[in-house]
Amino acid sequence: MMENVIELQHIHKSFKGFEIKDFSINVKKGFVTGFIGGNGAGKSTTIKLIMNLLKQDSGTVSVFGMDYKKHEKEIKERIGFVYDENIFYENLTLKDMKRIIKPAYKNWDDNAFQRYVNEFELPLNKSMKTFSKGMKMKASLAIALAHHAELIIMDEPTAGLDPIFRRELLNILHELMQDEDRTIFFSTHITTDLDRIADYITFVHNGEHIFTKEFYKIEEEYAIVKGTLDLLDRETEQEFISIRKTNTGFEALTADKNRVINIFGDTVIVEKPTLEDIMYYTKKGR
Amino acid sequence: MVNLILKDIIIQKNTIIIYIATIILYLLVEVSPIFLGVLYSVVFIMTAFSTDDKGNANILLNSLPYTRKEVVSSKYMGALIFTSVIIFIIYLGDFFLNGKGEVFLWREILLIIGLVMVTISFILPISYKFKSKHLVMILVGLVGIYLVTITLLIPNLHDILRGFVQNFLALQETQMYFVAILITVILYIGSWLLSIRIYERKAF
Repeated sequence: MMENVIELQHIHKSFKGFEIKDFSINVKKGFVTGFIGGNGAGKSTTIKLIMNLLKQDSGTVSVFGMDYKKHEKEIKERIGFVYDENIFYENLTLKDMKRIIKPAYKNWDDNAFQRYVNEFELPLNKSMKTFSKGMKMKASLAIALAHHAELIIMDEPTAGLDPIFRRELLNILHELMQDEDRTIFFSTHITTDLDRIADYITFVHNGEHIFTKEFYKIEEEYAIVKGTLDLLDRETEQEFISIRKTNTGFEALTADKNRVINIFGDTVIVEKPTLEDIMYYTKKGR
Repeated sequence: MVNLILKDIIIQKNTIIIYIATIILYLLVEVSPIFLGVLYSVVFIMTAFSTDDKGNANILLNSLPYTRKEVVSSKYMGALIFTSVIIFIIYLGDFFLNGKGEVFLWREILLIIGLVMVTISFILPISYKFKSKHLVMILVGLVGIYLVTITLLIPNLHDILRGFVQNFLALQETQMYFVAILITVILYIGSWLLSIRIYERKAF
């Protein structure tokens, strides 16, 4: 049986102007799960709930099978985190940051830290405010790896990074996943990042969990369908999540590729959807 | 917990030398050690607090294996430790620079610690509750009240305060000290618990 490392169940949380209702997701142990959704879909809120930076109004959050009320420290000992915003003290150096963070963890490994600092080419004696966004991301990763985090949670780690940094990050993550017990959960809206690395995709929209699927299954089930407008009527339109019509024809997304092929046969063109297609048409359809 | 207290020193390590230099300067012009002790203790404690508050340090601290209770408690325990260290530095300086430091020293020290505890008891829960930018407004309001008080209501406020300090130092009854200490400690613990409650409900 496959184990879940993170389980959110029936979460309710309301803010001014935003609400999560009966939200449940699971993250499988030992895999990379890409967490996608548009701006304001609830990605950061979900990550904050997982990190216990935010408390749900009702529902349960469990990480490693434990809850935060009783096992806050045990859980956090095993989590590594990379945030979108800067979390370092700007006037301190990475060496000082290490001095602050190291004693927080029981299983801090100085050699591992040094190894990753060298590998990532991070300066130890320059103040954090001179670090670029990519360097800060790497510094967070080095810290996560120095305490042998089993679960690495990243909130938009690639946002604002140049393509070289992004490629480097993905390579590092790839390497990390050689360890079978390690789990990576990361949110992004740059969906092409996920092509290379994600085993699972979790998609949220408007505070709602749309699906969690294995990446390859998405390509098997979903399809972009293109055809002429005369193919559409009230009945056939039901087959699609949403439809974009132009003067020359229509383009639509279906969640049941085989059914659409049966109905329309050769009259339409069926293409592989990108994650962006799925996000776009899902948003449009709601 | 000790780590969190050390953290408050590390984040101020560049300014510590300035603190010490200015303390020496003030001692040379014979500013009251009581005033210096209270001022520097509160400044040190609140600078550490606002450094955490300004950036996203709270996100960092709460993502590390600490509980929110520990984060708040480290401030209250650290406050007592920092105050003790600063008092030590000031009296050491006073002894070497001005050759003072023997008569009724413990009363002065008690007064400094008491005043710092009372001040911190009010400032910390307010600081946890409100954002830094609101704190500035609160501060401006307090200065306003203070100015109105000394110009219109109690023109001799400073004399009264000076009198209070003199009276306190001259007090002979141990019972009075005991009551004052008890009230201060109760206030401090109450404030500590209140801050934990506020901080545990915060979202980052």
